[in-house]
Amino acid sequence: MQIKESLCTLSELDCIGNITEASDKAYEILSQYAKTQKTNSLNVIGFLKGKADYTLMLDAHIDQVGFVVTDIDDNGFLTVATVGGIDLRALPSRDVTVHGKEKITAVFCSVPPHLSKGETEYDNITEIKLDTALGSKAKEIVSVGDYVTFNQKCFSLSDDLICGRSFDDRAGVVCLLELAKRLNGKELPVNVAFALSNQEELGLRGAITAAFSVNPDEAIAIDVDFGDSPDVSKDESSPLGEGGIITYSPILDKKINQKLITIAKENNIGYSTFVTGGKTSTDADMISISRDGVKTTVLSIPLRNMHSAVEILSLSDLNAVCDLLEKYILAGGIFNA
Amino acid sequence: MLDLLKELCFLDGISGDEYAVRDFIIGKIKDCCEYKVDNLGNIICFKKGKKTPDKKIMLDAHLDEVGLIITSITENGYLKFNTVGGIDISALLFRKVIINGKVSGVIGGKPFHLLDGDNRKKLPKCDDLYIDIGAKTKEEALEKVSLGDGAVIPSDFEILGECVKSKALDDRIGCLVLIKLLKEYSDYDFYATFSVQEEVGLRGAKTAAFAVKPDFALALDSTTAADIAGTPNESRVCVQGKGAVVSFMDNATVYDKVLYNAALQSGILCQSKCAVAGGNNAGGIHLSGEGVRTLAISAPCRYIHSANSIVNIKDIESMISLTGYMLENIANGNIK
Repeated sequence: MQIKESLCTLSELDCIGNITEASDKAYEILSQYAKTQKTNSLNVIGFLKGKADYTLMLDAHIDQVGFVVTDIDDNGFLTVATVGGIDLRALPSRDVTVHGKEKITAVFCSVPPHLSKGETEYDNITEIKLDTALGSKAKEIVSVGDYVTFNQKCFSLSDDLICGRSFDDRAGVVCLLELAKRLNGKELPVNVAFALSNQEELGLRGAITAAFSVNPDEAIAIDVDFGDSPDVSKDESSPLGEGGIITYSPILDKKINQKLITIAKENNIGYSTFVTGGKTSTDADMISISRDGVKTTVLSIPLRNMHSAVEILSLSDLNAVCDLLEKYILAGGIFNA
Repeated sequence: MLDLLKELCFLDGISGDEYAVRDFIIGKIKDCCEYKVDNLGNIICFKKGKKTPDKKIMLDAHLDEVGLIITSITENGYLKFNTVGGIDISALLFRKVIINGKVSGVIGGKPFHLLDGDNRKKLPKCDDLYIDIGAKTKEEALEKVSLGDGAVIPSDFEILGECVKSKALDDRIGCLVLIKLLKEYSDYDFYATFSVQEEVGLRGAKTAAFAVKPDFALALDSTTAADIAGTPNESRVCVQGKGAVVSFMDNATVYDKVLYNAALQSGILCQSKCAVAGGNNAGGIHLSGEGVRTLAISAPCRYIHSANSIVNIKDIESMISLTGYMLENIANGNIK
């Protein structure tokens, strides 16, 4: 599969709670290239043996934001809670998929103008009901605890920019799968573990157990970060189309960053850098404090409209991240540095 | 019936840009009536029946739908736009759009992680929104779009239980009813107008009514159904599954009480609009010439003016029956 096809396929499958369509597909792909297992916390972990007794773990989270059903009324309206951070202002009149006994489409209620008093405040998800249009029959299909996901299909904006849902962090997952494909059969200086971690959006949870299982010497979390757009300042975003973002933070390892930059320069691979003052809100925050500590950094793909159903990224950035990591791994990471 | 509705809803036609819908409808009706297209783009049809009624009767539905119009392009290649017709900003934020029927874009926004305080709760203004079509410069954007191009939010036409979910149900349902009657009703002569620019001020219907000079008119449209969770009974306006909606009064028209009562007593499943709110082409038609006795027959529509409007199929069937009944009984003089 080409990287674009792979991104579309995986982003249109869902991974939230007990819905594991995307992780099942990722498992199927990763198994072709690496020794792969599913763990108790629904993580998928692949392993490629290298020469040295040194393990470099690449992490990307497989889960996505969405909703979970908390109530079903007699007229077919659902109350939901958010799973991860969601902009409530963009929900009214949006259609979504409810993963009930079967998959059904439902629409978030929008309040007609004659009923809105002044400016509506969107700060309580329980006030934005979800209409199944099934009336009393909704209860036959939907149960409390069922998950709800965006349903946007992938589409291209240009040759390079692609739009869809769950690119956070299916983009990272696609990079890991691509790297497993490229590295499979090659002589590797170090062991490489591919951790597709679950429940990142609920507090970086899957990465805690993934890092414990793998027990790496070094780790890189591949995630998305804020891309440039008209209403985001340059200080809080990174440009699309210039490669991956190498992140600097007090909790991240500078040596890995330095080596990534050296390799990027040697191979003429684009990158940008972004500095943050504390935790990164990525799996790296947890991986770095696993067991007796792991040297960790974050390599990100710039993404517009994060956590919306229309996230946008650059395919050239995705390729640049794969290229950079491939060279970095073949150079042994910081094992000999 | 639903196949035809799906085809109608799939077509994009914001106000002033109704070409695709008009051409499609002409293709459907050209063999069963006489028609002409007037200066504004209204299709004015005359269906010859077996008998000619004493009174001239006009049935109207509007071709146009709400949408967006591109107003300027920034140096960085983003498109600025205005709304065409009433659209809530919440129905626009983080949505895919199709410009000019072919160019994909996205209405982007600041990720909510980066918003603070009130900005997280309150919608931005339309002026603050932009469409991202993946262009890096104004010149690159102009290769794909032009100022004045129309845009819509696309949506899949789906059946949800007893309901249809789609964009543009307002007023492709009305168009569907008219097409059906033009094809199937032949007792009495009648006029059918597919009018333009309803969503920007009931404009096409004014010139259509001037051309037809009817004695009676039925405006077929959609109306807000606020029968959603949390709405008190008295604020629901109308309810899905209870049939077509007839109004005594809205913000544009005081309706003919004889027609209104006749509809409610027809024996066909229908309901009153329990609010004085909104307006439709009746407002343009009833003031035409020396005045026209007018009734609006509407489909109760949830999330009207959004890409995911929902209408109960039973209510569409009721609308077809009720419109046919009113036409027949006005024509034969039973309703005076």
